[in-house]
Amino acid sequence: MTFEILTNPTNSQASLLFQQCLAEIVPENKLIQRAKDEVSGYFLERIETTDVSDDLWMKVINSNESKKKSHFVLDTDPFLSQLPRTLQAHLLNKKINWKSFKDVKIASILPKEKNEKLELIHVMPGAKIPQHTHEGNESFLVLHGSYSDEYGKYKQGTVQVRSDDHNHTPVGDARTGCIGLAYTHGKIKFSGKFGKLLNLVAN
Amino acid sequence: MAKVKNPFIEALAKVAESQDISSFKKIFDYFSPRLKSFLMRSGADEAIAEEIIQETMTIIWTKADYYDPKVASPSTWIYTIARNKKIDILRKSRKAILEDIDTAILPPVESKADENIEHDQKFEMIAQYLDDLPEDQLNLLKMNFFEEKSHGEISEITKIPLGTVKSRIRLALEKIRGKLEQDGTMANLNEGNNSSIN
Repeated sequence: MTFEILTNPTNSQASLLFQQCLAEIVPENKLIQRAKDEVSGYFLERIETTDVSDDLWMKVINSNESKKKSHFVLDTDPFLSQLPRTLQAHLLNKKINWKSFKDVKIASILPKEKNEKLELIHVMPGAKIPQHTHEGNESFLVLHGSYSDEYGKYKQGTVQVRSDDHNHTPVGDARTGCIGLAYTHGKIKFSGKFGKLLNLVAN
Repeated sequence: MAKVKNPFIEALAKVAESQDISSFKKIFDYFSPRLKSFLMRSGADEAIAEEIIQETMTIIWTKADYYDPKVASPSTWIYTIARNKKIDILRKSRKAILEDIDTAILPPVESKADENIEHDQKFEMIAQYLDDLPEDQLNLLKMNFFEEKSHGEISEITKIPLGTVKSRIRLALEKIRGKLEQDGTMANLNEGNNSSIN
């Protein structure tokens, strides 16, 4: 399952962030991520060249902001510091807009694009994890704490992929609760001769 | 036989330490035309491709001190910057969301241009492994990671069964991962801990 997710093409901000978080939490995954990228670096070196415009170099030189940003987080939000660095970097200096539902808080991490959503889900100890409300598959990555359902306990680093007909009642750990990253991607419909096959493949 | 250190490691270090323009030009001259091919192949038109290259080069210039030669080879580091930038720019909102995810909360790396630091050959070993792979296997890796095709699409295109596609890619990735875990410096290799270097 993890292998599937790690080798899925990422061509959206949501899917890339999700994949990076998954890679960051589990060291083994991080190396797989790096292995993939090394393969791409290898091919980048060997691809044929396409000439760039004569003025591109000047544009680069003239546009460079030479000031370097200060990159150390001195004032650490206790909540943020539990999250993977990938997310911390993304959320730096941004206000997180939490929406509360009983004992669960949900915040959108990215502006919604097409049928993709990336959300942070903060589950209080013992609280029920909400089922997503729209069509599609949801990949849920445990960032902190754990949750359980009828089938088992899911700890930090595990990913569960749930389709919209999924039937279970997940509950946050009674002691630690759970913080999760939910990546929802709606079903993409393909039409035409290869429609059926591509629907299977894409979903 | 000792392999020569990748010249871009030194170039990046010089950009980081002293904002050396000629080193930066070397990086630009080598990588821009290759990035352009990569970006246009993956769907960007010429103008957008050059815009992405321009922003990638700016990131390299301002964040060269974050490059760690122990973590990735120079082309890999540059590839990931361009790939992230491509995703940011090709989205409707164009927000630079992915630009800082690797550097915003990590401290810069200390200078790596030091000749006394043992040259870690693990990246050359990975390149050698890829050089030696049968072409159709190498192609699977290329389609999945460099061309961003899904396993299903690859199976469709190559007519290789889906399960076989997955297991071959998995095997290759595991091998490469294993090489990343090793310390590829001369001292370690001479102790016979790893397979022989050629």
